[in-house]
Amino acid sequence: MRWIKRYGPYLVLYGVAFLWIIPILWMADTAFKPTRDIFSIPPKWIPSHFTTEHVQRLFAEWPFARWLLNSLIVAGSVTLGSLLVSVPAAFSFSRLRWKGRDAVFMFLLVFMLLPWQVNVIPLFFMMTKFRFLNTYQGVALPIIAMPIGVFLLRQFFINIPRDLEDAARIDGCSSLGVLLRVILPLSRPVLAAFGVYIFNYAWNEFFWSMICLRKPQMVTLPVGLKILQGAFEIDYGLILAGAFMASLPSLAVFLLLRRQIIRGFTLAGSGVKG
Amino acid sequence: MGLKGRGAIPAPFSKMRKRIGRFFYRHPGIEGFLFALPYISLWAAFLAWPVVYGIYISLFDWDPLRGSKFVGFANYVELFREPRFWNAVINTFKFAGMAIPLILGLGLIFALMVWGWGRTRRGIVAVQASLFFPYLLTVSIVAIVWKWLLERDMGLFQHYLSSLFPSAPVFLTEPAWALPAIAVATAWWLAGYRMLVFQAGLEEIPVELFESAEIDGALPHHKLVHLILPLLKPSLLFALVLTTISAFRTFGQVLIMTEGGPGWASEVLALYLYRVGFDYFDIGKAAASGVVLLFLILVITLLGVKLLGLKSELQ
Repeated sequence: MRWIKRYGPYLVLYGVAFLWIIPILWMADTAFKPTRDIFSIPPKWIPSHFTTEHVQRLFAEWPFARWLLNSLIVAGSVTLGSLLVSVPAAFSFSRLRWKGRDAVFMFLLVFMLLPWQVNVIPLFFMMTKFRFLNTYQGVALPIIAMPIGVFLLRQFFINIPRDLEDAARIDGCSSLGVLLRVILPLSRPVLAAFGVYIFNYAWNEFFWSMICLRKPQMVTLPVGLKILQGAFEIDYGLILAGAFMASLPSLAVFLLLRRQIIRGFTLAGSGVKG
Repeated sequence: MGLKGRGAIPAPFSKMRKRIGRFFYRHPGIEGFLFALPYISLWAAFLAWPVVYGIYISLFDWDPLRGSKFVGFANYVELFREPRFWNAVINTFKFAGMAIPLILGLGLIFALMVWGWGRTRRGIVAVQASLFFPYLLTVSIVAIVWKWLLERDMGLFQHYLSSLFPSAPVFLTEPAWALPAIAVATAWWLAGYRMLVFQAGLEEIPVELFESAEIDGALPHHKLVHLILPLLKPSLLFALVLTTISAFRTFGQVLIMTEGGPGWASEVLALYLYRVGFDYFDIGKAAASGVVLLFLILVITLLGVKLLGLKSELQ
């Protein structure tokens, strides 16, 4: 009885966790086993031998490296651009007074619920007009325009004590000075949290990217995988190798920065409550 | 602006800066607005304008090459007459009805497990990490992996299910089972983030409350119903709104796992819109269905906010 009480929870926890990652293990397994094993019935857990043939084909026959690069560029510029415009806006909405400020903010908030599907069609035509289809800026700009960052950062900025700001102002700080010297140094964890959140969002964004990026050379990884999957309905070795390679960066970053990432998402998730 | 670098700046610039500083000091409103301006202009151009533009397009027989014709609400009328559109609406609600409870339920169970058992035990981090990790994957990876797991002959899950229960459905090829299978895959993808949201909520509950409940002889399920769930309400509501929105805009999973099939059995609104707009090039009608989707999401969210009293949570 005591044994169960002590180790039972462990058994359940690790059991559930193991079941939960079976899809990932199976993906890795499929990516590295010979085609003959992939098609065997019943499914073969342990491959007869380890092979990288699918991964090699992925890089040789497909611009997989380019997709990876595209994803990095898009996610990186979205993160940078988003921080660059969201931070001053959140600062303005939380600590500077101007006419109509709160009305404008409420208006932004309504747009937070907006799904992509509503504006992809008009966006597609706008981007065609600007000649932004198949470009990085074309994918990135609408993602940067999402209000989530302004919203999260504002929640945090609002709670920074007024006294700190007043002290800086008495010492001659302008608003920009207050932002750079008081607010930003205090909000590093929140900035990191938002950075993680928006990078992951841009890295994984699928719907708009698929519509805006139509040249195989320009697509990001999520869209590239769709192309792979569409081209070979049954070449599961290649498709799963693609999925596995595409998940490697996320996995690597997650293993390295697990604590920060989980804290980031927790912060972003509880940000609504202030 | 600065405290430190002031001396280093050449005189004319510092004069100009002083002038700018004085201007903003006298007109703080203008300064405040300028800080928000870069974001607001992006927002107006790439978020607000497209919505207006979308509503505009939905009133036209849109053809950018040969010229568009104003048709009033004809697109909407056509939409509402089309069985395939209603099929997509119903599928969207069906999917939401299955996916939302599944995602929130699993997220809550995971959070309670990790939080309740984890406080006094080591090695829990690995469990939390494994449960959360799928959330970091992109939708195409999730869909590809699950499509493979449910492949009719060689799929790992499908194979074992069919050999254990010979009457088990072949998920992705049977009309009635395609949407549930997609809902399960979606839950696998999204439940981990809800777990984090709930865990954050659980951490905020004061330990003393549990101690006093224990002294009063509360059983575990009493604690859950009378203590944990009421105090977790803000997190639950936040997760509910989040999950509802993502359920209503589901697209990638369906596109990759079933392409809306078999037939139209799993075609949801977002996929319908994509098909109409980018496969059949009926732009006006696609825009109209986008407006309907927007309307649906707004009404459901506002209803939810009103019914569940979320308003105080959002402010």
